[in-house]
Amino acid sequence: MEIRKIAILGSGRLGRGIAEIAATKGYNVTLFTQGAGSQNAPHRIEQSLNRKVAKWAMTETQKRVILNRINYTADLKELTNADLVIEATIDHLYTKQELLRTADRLCRPEVIFILTSATLPVYEIARSLTRSNLLVGARFIPPVVDVGVVELSYSPDTDKNAVEVVKKFIARLGKQAVRVHEAAGLVNPRALVTLINEAAYLLDEGSASADAIETIIKGSWGMEQGPFEMADRMGIDIILDWMEQLQKRYGDRYKPAPIIYRLVRQGKLGVKTKQGFFSYNEDGQRIDQPGQGQEDN
Amino acid sequence: MKILVLNCGSSSLKYKLFDMKQELVLADGKVERIGEEDGIITHQTVGKEKVSKTMPIPEHATAISECLSLLTDPEHGAINSLDEISGIGHRVLHGGEYFKQSTLIDDTVLQQLEDLRELGPLHMPPNILGIRSCQKLMPSKPQVAVFDTAFHATMPKHAYLYAIPYELYQRHRIRRYGFHGTSHNYIALRVAKLMNRDLADLKIISCHLGNGASLAAIDGGKSVDTTMGFTPLEGLMMGTRSGDIDPSVLEFIADKEDVPLKNMINMLNKHSGLYGIAGVSDMRDIIQGVEEQKPMHTLAYEMYEYRIRKYIGSYIAAMNGVDAIAFTAGIGENTPCLRKKICENLSYFGIAIDNESNQQRGEYELSTPDSKIKVFVIPTDEEIMIAKDTLALINE
Repeated sequence: MEIRKIAILGSGRLGRGIAEIAATKGYNVTLFTQGAGSQNAPHRIEQSLNRKVAKWAMTETQKRVILNRINYTADLKELTNADLVIEATIDHLYTKQELLRTADRLCRPEVIFILTSATLPVYEIARSLTRSNLLVGARFIPPVVDVGVVELSYSPDTDKNAVEVVKKFIARLGKQAVRVHEAAGLVNPRALVTLINEAAYLLDEGSASADAIETIIKGSWGMEQGPFEMADRMGIDIILDWMEQLQKRYGDRYKPAPIIYRLVRQGKLGVKTKQGFFSYNEDGQRIDQPGQGQEDN
Repeated sequence: MKILVLNCGSSSLKYKLFDMKQELVLADGKVERIGEEDGIITHQTVGKEKVSKTMPIPEHATAISECLSLLTDPEHGAINSLDEISGIGHRVLHGGEYFKQSTLIDDTVLQQLEDLRELGPLHMPPNILGIRSCQKLMPSKPQVAVFDTAFHATMPKHAYLYAIPYELYQRHRIRRYGFHGTSHNYIALRVAKLMNRDLADLKIISCHLGNGASLAAIDGGKSVDTTMGFTPLEGLMMGTRSGDIDPSVLEFIADKEDVPLKNMINMLNKHSGLYGIAGVSDMRDIIQGVEEQKPMHTLAYEMYEYRIRKYIGSYIAAMNGVDAIAFTAGIGENTPCLRKKICENLSYFGIAIDNESNQQRGEYELSTPDSKIKVFVIPTDEEIMIAKDTLALINE
């Protein structure tokens, strides 16, 4: 079956990123907007494309074509048209299971589902679906549009053809699918939270300022963003949630640094609250001057 | 003998059916918005009503099969059955160093075309898709690839090499290839015909000025230099392309504006040229702006003209003379004021044009009888060249 219409469940950063890249590559996308922050999805995607036009990555005409390919709805009934469903909601087992069970009822039986979870393995979600062999894990890594790799995971029972279809889809998005074995946290999320946690401990212990830690880590490995900015963009609450889930599974090496608890308790969740390790403006750009940032120790 | 000529773009397909006995067009058409739900097909058989329809065109194969069914349609078609088609000629962007002339397509050729994908990442994939679709739809028909680069294969090494470490040429075939070759070739043949001279004795500068634009220096019928290079970005200022630029500018801008290199290339291809200076890429809008004395339109126009004139001068030097200059393609054929400005600014070489002749449409000479260099306007016809090459290879 030719895949043309993509349904994306969840319009957070991950869902929006996948919607943007899929529409850019010519797919028709329906982005399901439910839950917190979703009303802003059309505006956020347009903003993201505006930044690309301003930086000459595309023309105004190309931008309009891409925007026209994305529809927004909160009505799950529109899933009946989808050729491929991508789940991109928060990592709560029951939320995901319930949403995917609904999708399972509404979608055509041959439609493949993609799970983007960072911490929940495919088999745990697949169990609750009638199409359990058509669920494939593909962890897109934010910022989705720019990151060129996707972690591909599936269980021994997964339909081989479904895996091939998902691989082809990822390739058409211009990304490389890299097979990993199913384990909570995969590769990127585990490595990421470890890096963020270590940076947070350094800050907690007063070893250096947030900006100094960020600058050294970024500069050492040629990264576009350091651990604190990555955490701020992901949402510190989400990072904390991952850490706690991983701590349950793997033990105390994922025990969150105290400052992470403090920031979440203070409601400083990162870009979405304009305050996290660093400060941000309405457009999500860092506004603190070099040398500033969270000195809470 | 009937030949079908196809030009497959990323989201469009243009086709023309020729009867090669008299070299007549029997039908032509185009399919736009391939890959969309609302694809548009327009088709016209000569002497019949033009038809157009909107339908989902998911892929190139659908576009080609729609084209074939329109060609054989009892009401709108030009032929009774596909059996009447003797062969198919494909316009292919890049022949790399493999193909110095048109070629019959077999599995080896197709593999070589696959190898050339990376030299034309935008055009080669749809070109190849077009060929593969035709193989599926009409497996018994011979197919021919006609390359935009092939005519320039005669460029001498001192003209096609970049002055960068030679091992880069050896490792990756990084060199100037040139494009619009089929059009430049056609122009050269027509100039010789119009001058009633042997092409082998003529030095010609062909100016293909369309959305993309290039000049070719043609000595004795062979391309000896052309303005486009490794990609169509080099050379003249174009609608949205910058043409020649100092590469150091890229790093400087990337640094100042915090953008990655791939955006820079996109900027040079899509946000530059006439558009980059005046905010419009269509020469008709530029001319209107010049008439209304808009300063940025006038500046863009002067830059555009200057770059062409500079290259004409350098090609006169490259060939140590010139017998004829010919203008073609959208802008070249339809912008008398641009031709006038270029020619007036080249009076040192003894070029003189007749202002009345310059206003005509179609194929004509615009130089005065005493002009030392002949100047022509010649509507280009790449399709007939492709059809002729296809026929010749099939007959071999």
